[in-house]
Formats: sequence, structure tokens, C-alpha cells
Amino acid sequence: MKSKILTGFAITVMVAFLSSCGKVPQAQIDQANSAIDSARAAQADVYLPADFAALQDSMRAVNAYIEGQKSKLFKNYGPVKEDLTKVVTLARTVSENAAVKKEEVKKEVETLMTDIKNVIQENNKLFPRAPRGKEGAAVLEQMKTEMGTIDAAVTEAQGMYDQGKYMDALNKIKAAKESADNINNELKEAIKKVGGRI
Amino acid sequence: MKFMNPLKGAVRVFLTSLIIVAILALIIFIVIKLIPVPPVREIESAISAISDASVRQAPVYSKKLFSEAEAAYDSAMTRWKKENKKFIFFRDYKEVAEYAKLSQKKANEAARNSELSSIELETRIKEKINSLRKICTKIDTNFGRYPLHDNQWSRFSKGKLLLQEGEIAFSKNQLLTANIKITDAENLILEVYQNATAELKNYFNSYPAWKKWYETSVAQSAKNNSYLILVDKFARKCYLYYNGKKKYEFEVELGKNWAGDKRRMGDKATPEGKYEVVRKYQGRETAYYKSLAISYPNSEDIARFKSEIAGGSLPPSSKIGGGIEIHGGGGKGVDWTDGCVALTNADMDKLFPLIKTGTPVTIVGSLRSLDEIMNFENE
Repeated sequence: MKSKILTGFAITVMVAFLSSCGKVPQAQIDQANSAIDSARAAQADVYLPADFAALQDSMRAVNAYIEGQKSKLFKNYGPVKEDLTKVVTLARTVSENAAVKKEEVKKEVETLMTDIKNVIQENNKLFPRAPRGKEGAAVLEQMKTEMGTIDAAVTEAQGMYDQGKYMDALNKIKAAKESADNINNELKEAIKKVGGRI
Repeated sequence: MKFMNPLKGAVRVFLTSLIIVAILALIIFIVIKLIPVPPVREIESAISAISDASVRQAPVYSKKLFSEAEAAYDSAMTRWKKENKKFIFFRDYKEVAEYAKLSQKKANEAARNSELSSIELETRIKEKINSLRKICTKIDTNFGRYPLHDNQWSRFSKGKLLLQEGEIAFSKNQLLTANIKITDAENLILEVYQNATAELKNYFNSYPAWKKWYETSVAQSAKNNSYLILVDKFARKCYLYYNGKKKYEFEVELGKNWAGDKRRMGDKATPEGKYEVVRKYQGRETAYYKSLAISYPNSEDIARFKSEIAGGSLPPSSKIGGGIEIHGGGGKGVDWTDGCVALTNADMDKLFPLIKTGTPVTIVGSLRSLDEIMNFENE
């Protein structure tokens, strides 16, 4: 009688053990997928493409493992639970880092926007003081045309910024700033040459 | 009562157990053998290939192949899930394995293709940047003071900014973005360059005539031991010859629309042809310090003007204009006159006393050929 009770207990424990290891950790899978979706929503694929690709690779490996276990007679989802926890953690880190990177790019665009507006203002003040001697006026005319193009580029970059396209805005505003700086340097150089004070 | 040999009994129990264990092992073996083997290795290889392709930026530079690899992988996984829902002995993973292998193959191709494409693209972009920079320099050098339409300069300026944007993207290894920007820049810059070059080539059709005027004028100066004022519009130079030899060289500024012969009053073009000084002005007689009025229009100008009116290329109300002078007030750095040739007052001081009325004045578009100027033969 005693041995029958023990056998029954052992079978119950075994079944409980096997069923706990043999159950797909759906809640954790959903959590991992949701964390990856959040990373995508945070534009990790734009701001940290390599990290996001690594995250997707991890999830692919997890899915493959799960299907592999489903194909077996005796399933063991124990190790994948740990992997899923890692995927969730990684996804959160990638999300956070993407948000940080996005904020950095946004700030850089904002700084460049402020800087370029100052340079444009300074250039407008320098234009009347620039010498108009030999070739000077013709060069100034060209510079003015370029300043018009730079103004248009700043407006375009502002539009991109307003739409949240910070990466696109960054390249545009950087190019515009470099051009505005070049004009600024040329103007200062020309004014210095004729003994003007900057 | 017959007693059983205890040893014999134990042997029987052992043998029976052994047979049962063997049968069980055989059954388990057969069962395991009957369970289809899942394509874990193939799937893992596909994942690894996709990951590798991704590292090699295949999603960017070999988008189509990479998408196909991903699609094949997704198909493999979908089929695997479908098979796993069947009873264990009825599963068939053949198709799953095929899709996984296809995914791996496509991903490997995408990775190779991506590497080649990115290297090729990088080289192409680098070449384009260098070539466009050279063209920009040519436009700045050769057309800096050429009266191109305003919108051409604005397009050129846009092109230069796009080129700069492309260079920034290139420096960040954003090759696709760089390529788009540089292609846009190329369209604008080349359009301006081609238009400007075509205009200039058209203008230089008169080069043989200019050369002839120059040669006969210098020969005449040598023959008559006389002065000659020669103006090279493209070089923006005024030369004073005496006895066929160059004595002075001055910088000049011209009419705003200097490229082309003067056709009518108000076109702000500086005429081209052989003229002579008809009158000298100084002090209160002129608004431009000192001036030498020339004999524009000459007989050729008049004939051409009449022919243009008759042909309808000029409206009948047009006037041929006049009052073209070589005068002071120059040194502004731009072409600002209504068609006259402006020197600095200091240069006018040198030129003015040497010139008498009747001194020949030859104005040409250029003394150098277009090939010399633009280096077309090297393109």
C-alpha cells in the first residue's frame, strides 16, 4: 500500500515536472515580441540599425528553438525562457539607446539650426562691409545667390525636423552650415585684407 | 513437494527482464526512428546567413535578395509551425528544410552582392564627387563673370549644396543617401555646365573673325607706327599697342550683358568690331572721369541691325544705340556699364594722354580660342 502511494506521488511529480518544461512560454514570447515592437516604434531600426538587427537575430534564434522543441517528443522550454528574458532586456536597452541617439541627433540639429541662423545673420551684416574692388562685387553676387540657397535649405531642414526626420535634417543642415561658414570665412578674410575690423 | 532451485528462478527472472527491456528498447528505438527529424540545422544555418548578410548591410545594398532570403525564412518557419500542429508521426519537414536552404542561399548571395555593390558604389560615388568638384571649379573659373541667367546660378548653387550634403552622407558611410544626393547634384551641376558651355561655344563661333580683326589691327599699328586700343572682353583686358607691340595692359569692366555683340540700344552689351576714337571728354564733359568715345555703330553694325529688323529678329521700334565709350569709373569688380568699357581712373590717366581721335579701337570677344580657355581637348 505504502509503495503504491509512493509510486503515485512519483508519477504526479514527474508529470508536473514534464508538463512545466513542456509548455510553450507564450506569455514571455508575447512580451519579447512586444518589446521588439517597442524598439521599432522607438525607431531603433533607423538610429541603431545594427543593434536592432542583432535583436531580430536573437528572436529568430528563440523562435527556431521553440519550433525545434515542438517537433520533439519530450519538450524542454526551460533554456529558452532565459533567452526570452535576455531578448526582452536587450530590446529594452536598444529602445532606450535609440531614444538617446534620436535625442542626440535632434539636439545636434537644433544646435546647428541656431548656429546657422547666427552665421546667416552675421553674413548679412558683413556683406555691405566686404570690398567690391576687382572681381569682389562679382564674387559677392555669387555669395548672395548661395546665401539664398542656404536659406532655402534651412527651411527645408526645419520642415524635416518638424516631421521628426532628424537624420535627414541633420545632413541637410550640416551641409548648409558648412557653406554658410565658408562664406563667413571668405567675407571676413576679404574685409581683413582691406584693413577692416571683424 | 518439489523445491524450485533458487538460482534457476533468478536466472529466469533476469532473462525475462532482459527480454522485456530489450523489447521496450526496440519499441522506443522504432518510435524514435519513426518521429521525423526537424530541420534545426538548416534553420540555424539560415538564421546565421541572414545575420551575416545583415552585418554586411545587405538590407541596404542588396535589398531584393535580402528580402527574398527573409521571405524564404518566414515561409520555412510558417511551414514548420504548421507541421508541428500535426500528430508527431505524420509530420513532414522536407519543405521546411527546402525553404531554410533557399533562405540561406539567398542570404549568402545577398551578403556577397552587398559587399560588391557597396564597394562599387563607394568607388563610383568617390569618382563622381571628384569629377563634380572639378566641374564646379571650371564653372567658377570660366563662368564666374559670364552673364548666365540668374536661375542658372541659383541651380548651380543648389547643386553645390546637394554635393556637399552628399559628401557628408558619404563620410558617414551612408552610401545610398550619398548616391541620391550626388546624383541630384550631378543633374543640376551638369545642366548648368552644359548650358553655359553651349552658350559659350555659340558665342565663340565668331572667334575666327575676332582673330582676323586682331591680326589686321596689330599689323596696321606696326605698319603705321601708330597706337591701337585692343579690348579682349572675355579676358576683361584692354591693351594699348604701339607700332604693333603691346605697351600697356589694363583691367576693364564691361556691359552687364557683355557676352555677345551689341545688337540694339539698351541691350547692355559691349559691341565687337573695328572702331576708332571719335572724341575725347574730360572734366565736366563726362560723368566718368575721362572718356574716349568710339565710332559705334560702324557700317557693319548698321547693316546687321537693318538685316535683323528686316528679318524680324528685332522689333521694328528698336534703335541701334550709340554713345559707346572707353571711360573711367571702373574698379567696381562687376560688369556694370550699359555697354561701355570702364577702366579705373588711374589707368585712364595713363591711356588718355596717349590717344588722339582717329586711334583705332578693336573690340573682340576673346584673343584666346575656346579650347585654350576651357581645355576641351583634355575632357
